[in-house]
Amino acid sequence: MDHFERLGQPRQHALDRDGLETEYLARAARAHPDKVDQDDASAKRAAMETSAAINEAYRTLRNPATRAEYLVKLGGRDLDSSDPSVGAPKMPQAFLIEMIEHRERVADARSAGADALDELREDVDGQQGDALAEAVLAIADGDIETASRQLVVRRYLQRLLDEIDDEG
Amino acid sequence: MSDDFDPGALFQIEEPSAPAASKRAPGRGIGIDLGTTHSLVALAPHGEMPREVKDADGNDILPSVVSYVAEEVVVGAQARAAQVANPTRVISSVKRFMGRGRDEVGAHPYPMSAPTDEADQVVRFDMGAQRAVTPMEVSAEILRVLKTRAEAELGEAIDGAVITVPAYFDDAQRQATKDAGRIAGLRVYRLLAEPTAAALAYGLDQTEGGKQGLFAIYDLGGGTFDISILRLREGVFQVLATGGDSALGGDDFDHALAAHLLEAASVSTPTAGQREEALAVARSAKERLSEAEAVSVDVPRCGLSGFDVTREAFEALIDPIVRRTVKACRQTLKDADVSPDDLHGVVLVGGSTRVPKVRAVVEKTFKRPPLCDLDPDRVVAYGAAIQADILSGSAREGVTLLDVVPLSLGIETMGGIVEQLIPRNATIPIGARQVFTNYSEQQTGIVFHVVQGERELATDCRSLAKFELRGIPQLPPSMARIEVSFQLDADALLTVTAKELMTGIKQSIEVKPTYGLDEAAVDALVMESLDNAEADFEARNLAEGRVETGRVSLAVRTALEEVGHLEDLLPAAERELIVAALLATDEAMANASGTPGELKKAREHLESVSEAFARRRMERALLSGMEGKSLGEIESTLAAEEALEERRGSHTPQQT
Repeated sequence: MDHFERLGQPRQHALDRDGLETEYLARAARAHPDKVDQDDASAKRAAMETSAAINEAYRTLRNPATRAEYLVKLGGRDLDSSDPSVGAPKMPQAFLIEMIEHRERVADARSAGADALDELREDVDGQQGDALAEAVLAIADGDIETASRQLVVRRYLQRLLDEIDDEG
Repeated sequence: MSDDFDPGALFQIEEPSAPAASKRAPGRGIGIDLGTTHSLVALAPHGEMPREVKDADGNDILPSVVSYVAEEVVVGAQARAAQVANPTRVISSVKRFMGRGRDEVGAHPYPMSAPTDEADQVVRFDMGAQRAVTPMEVSAEILRVLKTRAEAELGEAIDGAVITVPAYFDDAQRQATKDAGRIAGLRVYRLLAEPTAAALAYGLDQTEGGKQGLFAIYDLGGGTFDISILRLREGVFQVLATGGDSALGGDDFDHALAAHLLEAASVSTPTAGQREEALAVARSAKERLSEAEAVSVDVPRCGLSGFDVTREAFEALIDPIVRRTVKACRQTLKDADVSPDDLHGVVLVGGSTRVPKVRAVVEKTFKRPPLCDLDPDRVVAYGAAIQADILSGSAREGVTLLDVVPLSLGIETMGGIVEQLIPRNATIPIGARQVFTNYSEQQTGIVFHVVQGERELATDCRSLAKFELRGIPQLPPSMARIEVSFQLDADALLTVTAKELMTGIKQSIEVKPTYGLDEAAVDALVMESLDNAEADFEARNLAEGRVETGRVSLAVRTALEEVGHLEDLLPAAERELIVAALLATDEAMANASGTPGELKKAREHLESVSEAFARRRMERALLSGMEGKSLGEIESTLAAEEALEERRGSHTPQQT
């Protein structure tokens, strides 16, 4: 059973956030280990398995980025796998150079002051959003290769944002 | 990043032999607040309002202090009274040691016994007389007192307990708490986060039409600080984020003030006795300063008398500590993605929230006056009692609690970097898997180091356990595939399993908790407590048997004296039998080395030979139309009437 089925959702990127949460809470409440006979070890364990699966499904689907990555994974590209045939696609040299330049801009902005850093953060965040939007469009078209490349770009940019926030 | 979740693959390790299943026991669950400075137990059987359980002297608050001064272990106020005179043999604030290693516990006055080997990190207090006790055992002493107290109140054995823990407690601290419960002979239904317990006690699930709500719980106890953001929706209480500091609390207020007093007394290197006294004086001054603007204190051992402490001075001393709580509040609001304006209420928990400065700071941070109608010292136990009632099988209406893990969990990889498997604030239960590989063909074993914390380097995180997976088949480098699974249950307790995927053979795993006791050590302590429990049970049985036998004997004797001479009520032959049985009962009662069984036999014999006599008395009483009165009342009335009639020497009806 995939995460979408587990939470009674259509297998697509566009989900009703409120409806997703309502479904999740109802299912999580029903499956919770507190709801079974505390002396029945196998029922308790089964409830724990189901609860864990529901919680994991919700954690993945509630965030638009991880939801997109999950759809790409269902399509055959697992960004967390190191296996080149099914894992993250190899990124072109130009992109990697661009990321190195980004990192230098962060260092420059940091020494230039808080305003410069804020401005850069906004810029990177915008690019990150664009990459996700591109990926979502590609998923809708069934173009898993393009989607996975865009999602790798998004991950790089996200890491950059985390770095800005961490030390900022 | 998250792996695809396949529950089928996660739970192939056999369940450790479960205790013999007993049926659920509605109404026989208790809630325990095991606090740093004090503890208490509450009951809320069958949907009743929660109530605290008092001891014989009418006290419900049990100071979390355990004295090992004499051979007999003493818990509570009596132990605290002995502390100034015996600072090294009376253990207080043991909660600060729970799940902590020798290197982590900081300064304390207790002698420790030597570690068993270099790797041994388990804290063992050397309490003399060959007694080395772990913090779990010290806590178990406190739990045992509360358990006994609850059993006396319920009048029957309890079935299980919900024990509260600070939300911010890590795995080692939770495990230590659960072990303490087991050592005390308790079935631990659930470890419940203190803020969640408080939310239950406040009935926040009943407010706002019971549908929606967003709440902050600010919990400043003696030694721990928690801040949690809870959301209620669709009958589910969801913890959105939790934060805090498991080594920050009202005790720190006492320490700050005590240091100030010692400084004022020009005592630079206080003795243990002086320090304890200064602390005791500081604690009392702090409490009085919640009402008074200034207090005068004496610290005789330090030569300080009539020293004035103003509330202003006290607030200046504690300001840095209070500020640390505000910082944690802001971070947790951010983690939950909530602004103070979104909240529907802020709840205060913990005795330290009585300090006016704390209330003022909370009001400012959350932009609203906090809720504090319930006693902050008891609210956590109330909530635990409600959840215990639900888990005991009572038909109580309850919300579902979805809690989170407070700190990220991971595994140390090459170079000491932490590979995170479960992130902080993930809703529990939850599982995660990660595949590792071998680096050489000669490698047949691999050591896993499980850590908890937010830092990137394993050395900066808390070490939870190390285990070795042995018997890996000899495969070329990177060909072996070892899957490690983390499973967090509803108590946020972690189980780690590992298996080799290429061969599919289940491998042996040895988990060594870094700061706690392994399963066998806990089992041994549980057995020990069961042995003691049996002795305790025997003694209690005997005492109860004496009381019961005495009661029956007295009742028969009184009846004999009052109406035993009436032939129609008691034929002479029967009377003789009863008198003989009474004598045998007296003998059994007088025998100091008698067993509960012997007493019971004597009592049952007396009951059986006097049964017909009792029945006739009952019938006569009913015939007299005196229903509604107790047999005793009826008999004494009848006896009085008969005596009167006898004196009159006639059977004519009484004249008015």
